[in-house]
Amino acid sequence: MALKQISSNKCFGGLQKVFEHDSVELNCKMKFAVYLPPKAETGKCPALYWLSGLTCTEQNFISKSGYQQAASEHGLVVIAPDTSPRGCNIKGEDDSWDFGTGAGFYVDATEDLWKTNYRMYSYVTEELPQLINANFPVDPQRMSIFGHSMGGHGALICALKNPGKYKSVSAFAPICNPVLCPWGKKAFGGYLGTDQSKWKAYDATHLVKSYQGSQLDILIDQGKDDQFLSDGQLLPDNFIAACTEKKIPVVFRLQEGYDHSYYFIATFITDHIRHHAKYLNA
Amino acid sequence: MEEEAGEEPGLDRSSPRDFYFYHTDLYDPEDRLQIFPKQNVRTRREVVQAERSHEPRGAGDGKVQRDLQEEVDELVHLYGLEDDHELGDEFVDENLPRMGASEYPPHMMKRTEPAREQRDWRLTGEVAEAEDLGLGGWGSAGQCQDLREAYRYAHGRASEEYECYVIPEEEDEEEAVDVFCVTCKTPIRAFQKVFDEHKEHEVIPLNKALESAKDEIHKNMYKLEKQILEMENFANHLEEVFITVEENFGKQEQNFESHYNEILETLAQKYEEKIQALGEKKKEKLEALYGQLISCGENLDTCKELMETIEEMCHQEKVDFMKDAVLMADRLGKFLKTKTDVEISAQPDFEDQTLDFSDVEQLMGSINAVPAPSAPVINPQAPNSATGSSVRVCWSLYSDDTVERYQLCYRPVRDSSPGKDQAEFTVTVKETYCSVMKLVPNTQYEFWVTAHNRAGPSPPSERAVYMTAPSPPIIKTQEIRSCEEAALICWESGNLNPVDSYTVELTRAEGPEAPGVTESVVGIPTCESLVQLQPGQSYLIYVRALNMGGPSARSRPATVHTTGSYFHLNKHTCHPWLTVSEDGFTIVRSQRKTPEREPPPSDTRFTRCVAVMGNLIPVRGRHYWEVEVDERLDYTVGVAFEDVPKQEDLGANSLSWCMRHTFASSRHKYEFLHNRTTPDIRITVPPKKIGILLDYENSKLSFFNVDISQHLYTFKCQLHQLVHPCFSLEKPGCLKIHNGISMPKHVTF
Repeated sequence: MALKQISSNKCFGGLQKVFEHDSVELNCKMKFAVYLPPKAETGKCPALYWLSGLTCTEQNFISKSGYQQAASEHGLVVIAPDTSPRGCNIKGEDDSWDFGTGAGFYVDATEDLWKTNYRMYSYVTEELPQLINANFPVDPQRMSIFGHSMGGHGALICALKNPGKYKSVSAFAPICNPVLCPWGKKAFGGYLGTDQSKWKAYDATHLVKSYQGSQLDILIDQGKDDQFLSDGQLLPDNFIAACTEKKIPVVFRLQEGYDHSYYFIATFITDHIRHHAKYLNA
Repeated sequence: MEEEAGEEPGLDRSSPRDFYFYHTDLYDPEDRLQIFPKQNVRTRREVVQAERSHEPRGAGDGKVQRDLQEEVDELVHLYGLEDDHELGDEFVDENLPRMGASEYPPHMMKRTEPAREQRDWRLTGEVAEAEDLGLGGWGSAGQCQDLREAYRYAHGRASEEYECYVIPEEEDEEEAVDVFCVTCKTPIRAFQKVFDEHKEHEVIPLNKALESAKDEIHKNMYKLEKQILEMENFANHLEEVFITVEENFGKQEQNFESHYNEILETLAQKYEEKIQALGEKKKEKLEALYGQLISCGENLDTCKELMETIEEMCHQEKVDFMKDAVLMADRLGKFLKTKTDVEISAQPDFEDQTLDFSDVEQLMGSINAVPAPSAPVINPQAPNSATGSSVRVCWSLYSDDTVERYQLCYRPVRDSSPGKDQAEFTVTVKETYCSVMKLVPNTQYEFWVTAHNRAGPSPPSERAVYMTAPSPPIIKTQEIRSCEEAALICWESGNLNPVDSYTVELTRAEGPEAPGVTESVVGIPTCESLVQLQPGQSYLIYVRALNMGGPSARSRPATVHTTGSYFHLNKHTCHPWLTVSEDGFTIVRSQRKTPEREPPPSDTRFTRCVAVMGNLIPVRGRHYWEVEVDERLDYTVGVAFEDVPKQEDLGANSLSWCMRHTFASSRHKYEFLHNRTTPDIRITVPPKKIGILLDYENSKLSFFNVDISQHLYTFKCQLHQLVHPCFSLEKPGCLKIHNGISMPKHVTF
């Protein structure tokens, strides 16, 4: 598990780095970004995982969201992996932007074509944390997760499927109910097969309904002018209704005028970092 | 030879040297060293004097004894301790006090000289001896006893021991000795012990003898030092007495002089009057007698003439005779009829002139009486000398008039009824001060004082206004507000008239410093004060009122806990449909079948939204409180400026920020309203307890679901003025406010 440093840039007193490694779960070289705050020089810091959305690499978040300042202030190590295996030479992996490369959907694929490489769920919940815990000054007991769009879906299911593993969770415009939206149907059908009952295991809204476990505090920001909201790709109302019924604490903020872009993310990233810091630094 | 002598280890050489150094070390000042031998010589002489003075008078006719006797007499005179007769004698002989005055001061002045000091001791010693002779009787018996003892001590022991131990030193110069014969009290050489007259005597090593001798001397010197000090003190005392006597007698002299002059003048005047009256009387009498004499002569002439005429007639012819005789008989008859006054109009003897000396007698009588005192001077009130019910009035006299008692009069000063005379009170005291009790607090009193003696009262002093201290204020415990670092204390003056200022005193009720340390905030002009405190403490707070008379007693204490922020609801802002429970923190809107008409608009009272405002402490820090709500209740909680329009809903303007919950068709709606706008926020778990954090430092107002530590929303608000908590009920139900609680950790993120 040798790490290869691709880049390192000083940022808000800390270092924004990118590494490459050979992933066991994904059977390919994977890049991930890690921000080491100044505080990491002297002690272990909590780890906060960011899951990006469709088409993104590790670069989008670190170059567009401007999260480093808040992470530096709160002393959080922030890890941003890629969104899918790359260069696996699977037939059709680059055919569309919402499936295959750049669209791993944070599931462990079961379909033969994909099951060797597309194990993003295990990658982000097991392999990557172990790698980070082993190579960086982080406290394994303190980790949280958040993400955007597909990554928001990923963050929610990671937290809901592993009660207690993550101290907190938040999302920007997450795909809340993938089994009911076109993106989800396409991806889940492709990776998991046609048995829709298997899909529910990766659907936040369904997971909430059966969630038993430690208290979660979920923060969701959603742009009101998000095209994918009106297209019915995100379906936050379903998730909120389920949470209301199950009394899972959610603060859902519908932000007037904002769309699905990183401009929207950059606007509220500080609130999310603080939300996680509150639990990670408690 | 010298070297040998130096190296010789014999005791005889070193001992005297030691002895010498011992002196030098302990009594460094060289003059001291010189004093002691002199003193001893001197005191020995004194013993002789004293012994002689014990002999019957006249038995010893030496000059020394006479001197002593004179001095003793003088002293006794000076201290005025003899009987009146002698005192009188002294007055007749003016020289005597003068002599004393001229002779004694130098003793006092030059006392610093060692020689003079000696003399002083001698003097006091002599006084003590005078006491022995039975002439005295002054001073306390104990003091005399001390003096006598000290005197004898100086005469006896000191001189004795001087002889005892100093002599060997001299002898040591000549020959070496190594042991000390106790019996003979002399150092001897060891071999002498064997075959000399010391054979049977007890001997001790010279060193040991030396040590004990040193100790003894040391002790004695210490005693002497002490004695010197006592003597000096006594001399000072004598000096004071001396001056007092001089002054008193001087005063008396003046007094007598003026009185006798007065009497002489009176007598002279009386003499003049008498002499003049006597002369007038004499002149009057003489004139009367003279007049009588003249008329008497005239009568005589008339008689003679009549006689002659009659005789002539007798020699006349019958006819003529008859003719004249008739005429003559008429004339004679007429003449005889006029009564000849032979009474002496003026008595030659002196009429009984009683001399009236009553006024002189009175004057004479008043010689020994003192004059009526002059008006005392009343002092202005001393600061902090008054209590709520008493003042301490002080006055003094210009001169040293004899005063038997003072009459202090006072009455309250009241502007309200100038025409009406206030009751006057009088107290009689002997001192030049008086604590006047049972007065009314925070009230001005006018005081004046007259001095009285046998001769009568003095004129009254000027009038001085004194003021009693105020009554203690009353802390309005129901209006105390506090936060972590301060408390706002309000109180009622407790006094009808204004006071000068207030003082707030605070002590920590618990902790290591309790209860000793009291901090004070002074000079507070109004009936409220914001005091800075430490977080997480309990304080006892007291208030005092102050005026020129002093501070009042402490008010009853109020307790302040600096945990969280503590405020009360402002009942003046309360919508009429709301009631605040007795504990002050439960707001109830009761069910009403027929809603009342809306109350008229008001600036202070909410009239549209059914709300009430809290009074938060005016400190721009961080404040946190919680509100317990029913999930189905429609409520609004938040903050607003004090001047928020009371006929508008909370959040409907730029002067209020609030969270509104509405429950309709089993859906919860949460709005975070400011200027009628709210973000679109959905909350999946309805809070039962809302935490509100007002953070002036970061210009934020945050809302939390307390039970699950969930952050709900944060306003960024520019709080250019102070805001207050607001609570509103849109439907019947109740809200319970919790304050004075510490801020949960989760709210600070």
